[in-house]
Amino acid sequence: MTCFQKNINFGTNATLEKRIHALWQGWVTFLHDCISSRLPALCMIALVALSSGTASAATSDEILRKWYGLSLSLIRHTPTYSPPVASRALAYLGVTSYEAVASGSPQLQSLAGQLNGLKPLTARENGLDYDDVVVLETALATVIHDLFNNTGPSGQQAIQHLEDELKASTVTLGSTPESQARSTAYGRTIAAHIIAWSREDGGAVIDNMGFPLTYGLDKRPGHWVPTNPLARQQQVPLLPNWGKNRPFAMPEGASCPLPPPLDYSEDPGSAFYKDALETYQTGKSLTNEQKAIAFFWTDDAMASPTPAGHWSSILLQIAEHDHLPLEKHVDALARLGIAMADAFIGCWHEKYRYDLVRPITYIRKFIAPDWTPFLLTPPFPEYPSGHSTLSAAAATVLASVIGDPYSFTDHTRERDTAIPRSFDSFWSAAKEAEISRLYGGIHFRTAIERGFEQGRCIGAYALALKTTR
Amino acid sequence: MFVLKRLLFSICLTSAITSYSAPICAADRLTAPVFQEETALSGISSIYAGDWQYMVGGGVATLDCNGDGYPDLAFAGGEAKASLYINKSTRGGPLSFERAESGLELEHVTGIYPLDIDGDGITDLVVLRVGETVLMRGLSECRFERANEAWHFNGGNAWWTSFSATWEKGASWPTLALGAYIDPQSEANPWGSCTENRLFRPLGDQKGFNDPVALKPSYCALSMLFTDWNRSGVPALRVSNDREYYEGGQEQLWHIDPGEPPRLYSDAEGWKFLKIWGMGIASTTFPDDRYPSYFLTSMSDNKLQILQQPNKEVPPLPAYKDLAFDRGAVAYRPYTGDDLKPSTAWHAQFEDMNNDGLPDLFIAKGNVDRMPDFAQKDPNNLLLQQPGGTFKEVGDIAGVASVRNARGASLADFNLDGKIDLLVVNRRENVQLWQNVTPDAGNFIEVMLHQDGPNRDAIGAWLEVDNGDRIIRREITVGGGHASGQLGWRHFGVGAAQTVKIRTIWPDGSTDAWETVSSNAFYALNHGQAAKLWQTGSAP
Repeated sequence: MTCFQKNINFGTNATLEKRIHALWQGWVTFLHDCISSRLPALCMIALVALSSGTASAATSDEILRKWYGLSLSLIRHTPTYSPPVASRALAYLGVTSYEAVASGSPQLQSLAGQLNGLKPLTARENGLDYDDVVVLETALATVIHDLFNNTGPSGQQAIQHLEDELKASTVTLGSTPESQARSTAYGRTIAAHIIAWSREDGGAVIDNMGFPLTYGLDKRPGHWVPTNPLARQQQVPLLPNWGKNRPFAMPEGASCPLPPPLDYSEDPGSAFYKDALETYQTGKSLTNEQKAIAFFWTDDAMASPTPAGHWSSILLQIAEHDHLPLEKHVDALARLGIAMADAFIGCWHEKYRYDLVRPITYIRKFIAPDWTPFLLTPPFPEYPSGHSTLSAAAATVLASVIGDPYSFTDHTRERDTAIPRSFDSFWSAAKEAEISRLYGGIHFRTAIERGFEQGRCIGAYALALKTTR
Repeated sequence: MFVLKRLLFSICLTSAITSYSAPICAADRLTAPVFQEETALSGISSIYAGDWQYMVGGGVATLDCNGDGYPDLAFAGGEAKASLYINKSTRGGPLSFERAESGLELEHVTGIYPLDIDGDGITDLVVLRVGETVLMRGLSECRFERANEAWHFNGGNAWWTSFSATWEKGASWPTLALGAYIDPQSEANPWGSCTENRLFRPLGDQKGFNDPVALKPSYCALSMLFTDWNRSGVPALRVSNDREYYEGGQEQLWHIDPGEPPRLYSDAEGWKFLKIWGMGIASTTFPDDRYPSYFLTSMSDNKLQILQQPNKEVPPLPAYKDLAFDRGAVAYRPYTGDDLKPSTAWHAQFEDMNNDGLPDLFIAKGNVDRMPDFAQKDPNNLLLQQPGGTFKEVGDIAGVASVRNARGASLADFNLDGKIDLLVVNRRENVQLWQNVTPDAGNFIEVMLHQDGPNRDAIGAWLEVDNGDRIIRREITVGGGHASGQLGWRHFGVGAAQTVKIRTIWPDGSTDAWETVSSNAFYALNHGQAAKLWQTGSAP
């Protein structure tokens, strides 16, 4: 065996301790083989290269960071990726990452049997060597190819480019060719299982960017009416059946129901009118700080990674900054993705149950005809607020998995000229995301507050998942 | 007869259900132009070829390179070589072209714009490429030679995709604006990699250009147009940007004031934030307006921007109403076939296709490249302008609703019969050429502007034609569209008018007196002189 055939093995065990042990053992074996081999010069070149870091292999954390980083870009640049669709993709990415790592980890147990419809995955073969990095890389690459099969030519090229890059870097310092091949095949098996599971959830096919070709609007007062006359697709609401999708951890879309919104009224003395008046008056006198908050959490489709991508970005920043252990990292990614996807399913269930009018429609009709909210009003019913539901679900997960309180600075929107914002806890960030929708003039207070409560309820289902053995 | 009427009504109704654009019905058919495809017999064979770096571009320049009055064509070829075709058509005859070796046979060409840069009376070409932009000096008889070095022009190394030119007050050479797209080296992560657009101003009294100035921020410009949007006499630069690749970007309007560095119009000046997949700019002036309006192509919804002018006593702000839906200028998804996914629009151009005195709107359409969420079979649009400034779709009735993968286009009178013909550049397929054979088209005039000294073609002038019903205004520009530009005859449909009044507002602001001329004729308009009737066989 030459030194190159018996390379440093990053190990079949995913725990940090075992990986460090495997790394050390790999170095010892590598040095021994190099000294005794017939190609010492070549081995020395490799050794120098390794010591200087020029030939370092991709780690699982890099794999996660790079594939998630690209996925957040693809969400922004794939036209079907409205916020609910993006949350679904991030949930499947989270589960894929988790299952790939859990399959080789003595600490983690599979989510099969806990998530709706997820049957047990094929286990690794006992006694055989697997390269965890290759398993993770292959599984993620395969699922991402599938989730973003409709992205444009630049996106397709970027996916392929990253896959080639990561494959090359895992080959450099990976395990034996047999282990590589076995690990690649196993990664594909995991991916195929996840992809087959994803096909049946009701959200796999998005036609016409999510806008139904036929839809009957409820013409009664108080119901949603289109808010953007210049966008022809948006004369019907987005994804009206999303609330019927199969959730991940919560039993069904109706599992965290909300009471009806305030009784619709056009009477200036009514609670509904006062709610609208607050949105109007707040929007009319926004401070610079309030504008910054509204802009920071805009998270519009096609202009950002969407709310779910924003919270995923927060977690990825923390994982890199804090060097989260791999098991904790994928646990957090899976729970966060699941909680956010379920949040949009639950939220959409209630949105189309109540079909409430947006502030721009009501305020222009009954308070100020020329009023324009700070943010663009999204094309679907008002109650409850999607960002509020999602942010509370995200905070529920992150506060529990990462810590509470936990100080961090969020750079997600930096490239879009938004100044990074600092928070002392996930809950304070979520509360800011919640109120941002009132500042933005796209929600009434009732929708953000009740949305937030719904998010807590939905997030608890993701938190209840059992991940450790 | 009753059965036929019911059938026509049924077709009309079906069309109305499947399309938001107002369909043209049986009763309207007399107004619809008729086109006949002549590609196979025309002698033109040009494919815009290539993969990722040629997903945009695909332009064609329309120019008279041999001085015979007939519009010739120069095609971008992408990975294939660019090519020049000389117009061999006869007046009113079939469309006929012949390929000629011209010196233009460059590779990696995305777009071509004609312009007499050096003021020698021979049209030059600005050749946009993936790599270096090349200025090709026009020689006699449709020959061209590279002039970057002679004219001190640094063509850079970028993915060049857009162009426009103007003559600033007092300048003897033009000011050129060049728009770039994605960094070609950033295949792994192209988003946010837009490279800088550049402005080239003339070199004092010498021939050529100064070092370029960056038009930063740059947001992946797919169309640029110098246009006197507020009729101030100083054109500004409109830039339409592709939101797919920029971060923190928007549509742009630049102050390009003589002697001053370029400066963006700001919110405080009235400029309104707008993000679109900007791909092409077309301009027109509606009969009831003296300011230009703009049609911006994009994916799904396009924009028809008409200047807001709440108080006509004060200079307007650069704030526009989007009246695409109100006016029926919609092309957001196919109006024929069963592919109802959103459309992708590229070149757009206003020309009067039926000579009724109202400029119509042609839009070239085609999928970017295997994007399954957008229409794969995306028919080109021909939106016929109606009195009142509304539009009706007639592309299918007129015979130009091709579902090939279109990019650039040229609307010009190729056989000088007074009717606008149509040429469309397709990606990975041959171009298509249609002859306008409308049997009952209205009358027309076509004019070509000339002035001595620099800016021979009077870029920046305004032409006005009064046909008795309305004044038809037209700004003379070079730029806009999608990678495609034109120089030559300016066509005006004039309806039933046998005579019309014409006048020119020249780039220096001087205005000719109104002059009455006969319809159905071609005129050379020289600065300060009476209109000169043009006949075939002579230089216009």
